[in-house]
Amino acid sequence: MSAPETVVLESGMKQESAAGLKPKAEVADLSFYYGHFRALKDITMPVYEHKVTALIGPSGCGKSTFLRCFNRMHDLYPGNRYEGSILLQPDNADLLARGVDPIEVRMRIGMVFQKPNPFPKSIFENVAYGLRVRGERSRRRIEEKVEQALEGAALLEEVKDRLHQPAFNLSGGQQQRLCIARALATDPELLLFDEPTSALDPIATSSIEELIHDLKQRVTILIVTHNMQQAARVSDFTAYMYLGEMVEFGVTDRLFIKPAKKQTEDYITGRFG
Amino acid sequence: MGISEHASKQYDLDLDAIRSRVLQMGGLVESQIRRALDALATGDRALIDEIIANDHRVNAMEVELDGDCSQVIVRRQPAAGDLRMIFGITKTVTDLERIGDEAQKIARMARSLHERGSGALPVDLRHAADVALSMLRRTLDAFARMDAAAAAEAIRQDDAIDTEFQSVLRQLITYMMEDPRTITSALDIVWIAKAIERIGDHAKNMAEYVIYIVRGTDVRHTDPSKLEP
Amino acid sequence: MAVSMQSVKKQVRRRKRWDVIFALVGIVALMIGVLTFVALFAEMAMNGAGRLSVDFFTSFPSRRAGQAGILSAWVGSTLVMLVTAAVAVPLGVASGIYLEEYARKHWLTDLIEINITNLAGVPSIVYGLLALGLFVYQFGLGQSILSAGLTLALLILPVVIVATREAIRAIPQGIREGSYACGATQWQTVRYHILPYSSAGILTGVIIGMARAIGETAPIITIGALTFIAFLPPAPIAAEPPFVSFEWLFSPFTVMPIQMFNWTSRPEAAFHQNAAAAGFVLVVMTLAMNGAAIWLRYRLRRNIKW
Repeated sequence: MSAPETVVLESGMKQESAAGLKPKAEVADLSFYYGHFRALKDITMPVYEHKVTALIGPSGCGKSTFLRCFNRMHDLYPGNRYEGSILLQPDNADLLARGVDPIEVRMRIGMVFQKPNPFPKSIFENVAYGLRVRGERSRRRIEEKVEQALEGAALLEEVKDRLHQPAFNLSGGQQQRLCIARALATDPELLLFDEPTSALDPIATSSIEELIHDLKQRVTILIVTHNMQQAARVSDFTAYMYLGEMVEFGVTDRLFIKPAKKQTEDYITGRFG
Repeated sequence: MGISEHASKQYDLDLDAIRSRVLQMGGLVESQIRRALDALATGDRALIDEIIANDHRVNAMEVELDGDCSQVIVRRQPAAGDLRMIFGITKTVTDLERIGDEAQKIARMARSLHERGSGALPVDLRHAADVALSMLRRTLDAFARMDAAAAAEAIRQDDAIDTEFQSVLRQLITYMMEDPRTITSALDIVWIAKAIERIGDHAKNMAEYVIYIVRGTDVRHTDPSKLEP
Repeated sequence: MAVSMQSVKKQVRRRKRWDVIFALVGIVALMIGVLTFVALFAEMAMNGAGRLSVDFFTSFPSRRAGQAGILSAWVGSTLVMLVTAAVAVPLGVASGIYLEEYARKHWLTDLIEINITNLAGVPSIVYGLLALGLFVYQFGLGQSILSAGLTLALLILPVVIVATREAIRAIPQGIREGSYACGATQWQTVRYHILPYSSAGILTGVIIGMARAIGETAPIITIGALTFIAFLPPAPIAAEPPFVSFEWLFSPFTVMPIQMFNWTSRPEAAFHQNAAAAGFVLVVMTLAMNGAAIWLRYRLRRNIKW
C-alpha cells in the first residue's frame, strides 16, 4: 500500500502558513500488532502543538488503538507489539523505543477515558493522585496544584467546599471533569481523550467541549470521537481512519466541506458504515 | 459526488425530492419568461394577468423549498457534498424566485406599453432574450446533471447579454433624443431590457452554485475567463 | 390478539400460576434446611443452656462433670486461630495479588490455579497427616499451638487465595487503567487501589475461612492435640527484655471441638450436657464471626460504587 496521503493544508477555505505550526508529536510509519493481527498499518501524521486533533472513523478502524499507543497503554497487556516511531518534541524522544519506560511516557502524556473512572476516594485525593505517585510530599504544593487543576477543568467552583467528600457523589459530567482535572494536575504536554463524552448527556457534553477549547491553549489535545459533529465543532485538524489505515488528514474546516478522498466523503455523509 | 446511497433511504428520497422540485421551479420560471416575452409582442391581456398571478406559485415554491432544506439541515447535519448541495440549492432557489419577479416585471411593462398603444418596439430585444433563456436552460441542465463544465459554459454567455444590453441602451438613447415624445415608452423598454440583463445575472449565479456544489470551489466574483472548462 | 383486559387477565393468571408453584417449592426447600439447623441448634441449646455460667468459661476440664469447664479449650481455640490468621492472611493475600496482578498468562500459572482450587477440596485429615510429618517431626515444632496454627493455615489458604482473587477481579479495569495513566507503577497501583478496594472481599474470605477452621477436629487430633489439658499456655509477656515471649507457641493445647468430642465419648449424661453447652458456644462463636464478616463487608464497601 503506498504511503498514505498527508493532505495537510489546502487553499480554498482557510490559509494557514505551515511555518506557523509546530508539531508536538510526529508519528512515522506506525504499525501495531495484537498478537498476529495487524491493527494499525503504517500510520504517518503530525500532531500540532496547542491544537486539537480529532480521530474519526467507523467502529473497529483502530482509532482508540492508535490513541493508546501514545501513552503506551498497550504495554499493560501481553502479546502487543509496536513498529515505527512516535517522536515527542521538543526533545525528539521516541515514545515507542525499547529503552523508554512506559511510566516515563505517562508522566508527560495524560489520558481521559470514555467512561468516567474516578477513584473511590475523595475529590481531593483523586486529583492529587498523580502528584502523590510522583513522590510529591509538600502538602502546600499539592493543595496548590489540585486547586489549579480543578480550576483548569472548570470544576473548582462546584466542588470547592466539598473537596474531601467521595468523588462518586458527583454527577457524570462532573466526574468526567474530575478525571480531566486529575490528568491536568501533573502538567501534561499532550492530553489524550478517548471518546470523552459518549457516556454523557448533551449538556455535560457541551461543557466538556467548551473545556477542551479552553484547554488547548495550555496543552496539545488528541481526541477520538465517533460523533462527527463533535469532531467538526471541537478540532482544528481531523484524521479519518479506516481498517487501521490513515485515509486522510487535514484541516477540519476543509475536510468536512470538501474532503480530498471519496472514502472520507462517503463516511462523513453517511453513505456507509 | 455521491452516486452511492446514504445508509438512510429516507435521506436519499428527501434529497431527490428537493432536487426535482428545484427543477420544477426552474421549468415554471422558464415558462414565465417565455410567456412574458410573448405577451410583450402580442399584448395579450389574459396572458399578462395569468403571468402576474403565477408569480404566487413561484414564491410559494421558494418558501416550500427553503423549508425543506432547513429540515434536512436539522435532521441530517449534512457534511461535505451534501452540505454544499443544500447550501447551493437554497441560494439557487433565491435566484430563481428573483428571475420569476423579473418575468413578472416584463409582463407588467408589456401591459403598460400596450395600454399606451406603443405596441411595436423600436428595438429588437429578442436576441438578448434568447441568450438569457438559453443561459437559464443551460444552467438548469447543468444543475440536473451536476455538470460543472456545462455550468462554466453558461457563465461565459453572460458577457453576451451585457453587451446586448449596452447596445440596446445606446439605440434607445438615440431614439429618445430624436423624438422626446417617445421617452415614456422608451423608459419602459429600458426596464424590460434591464430585466432581461438581470435574468442573465441570476442565471450566472446559479451556474456558479453548480460549480461550488460539484467542485467545492467558490467561483463567485472571479473572472469567467479564469474558469476551468 | 388481545381484545380486552379480561382476556389478557385470564392468560396472565394462567402463566403466573407457575410463578406461585415455583415460589412455594423454593420456600419449602429453604425451610427444610433452615428448620433442620434451627431444630438441632435449639436441641443443643436446651440441653446445654443449663450449664452455661461464668464458671463454665473459667474452669478447666475435670473428671467431675459438674466442675468441668472450657477454659483451656476456648483459650486454645483462640490462640490457634490467631496463629492461623497470622500465617494464612499474608501468604494468601500475597499469593492472590501475585496471581492476579503480576503473573503472566502461562501454562504454569494455569496449573497453579487449578491446583489451588483443588486443594480446597482435600480432606482435612490429609492436612493433619502432612502436618504431623512436616511440622511436628521434620521441623521439630512438636505437638504445639504453632503446628496446629500452621496446619489450619494451610487448610484455609486456598479459601483466602480464592477470596482475594475474586475480590481483585471485581475491581473494574478502568480503575487500573486510570491509575497507570497517571504514571503510577504496578506496586503503587496495588498499594493505593487494588489492596484497599479488595480488602472487604479479602476480609470476608478470611473470616469465613477461619469460621471453618475453628471447627476442624481431624487435623488437630492427628497432630496430637491432647484432650485433657488442665493448664493454660504460658503468657506472652516476659519479665525481662524483650518483654515478649513466644513460649506459648510451643506449648501443648486443646481446642473446643476436641473438648466436645472428649465429653461426648464419655458415658455420663452430665458430660453430654457439657458437650452440648460447648457446642452451643462454638456455634455462637462461628455465627459471631460470620456476622462480623458481613458487618465489616458492609462498612468497607460503603464508599465503593461499581
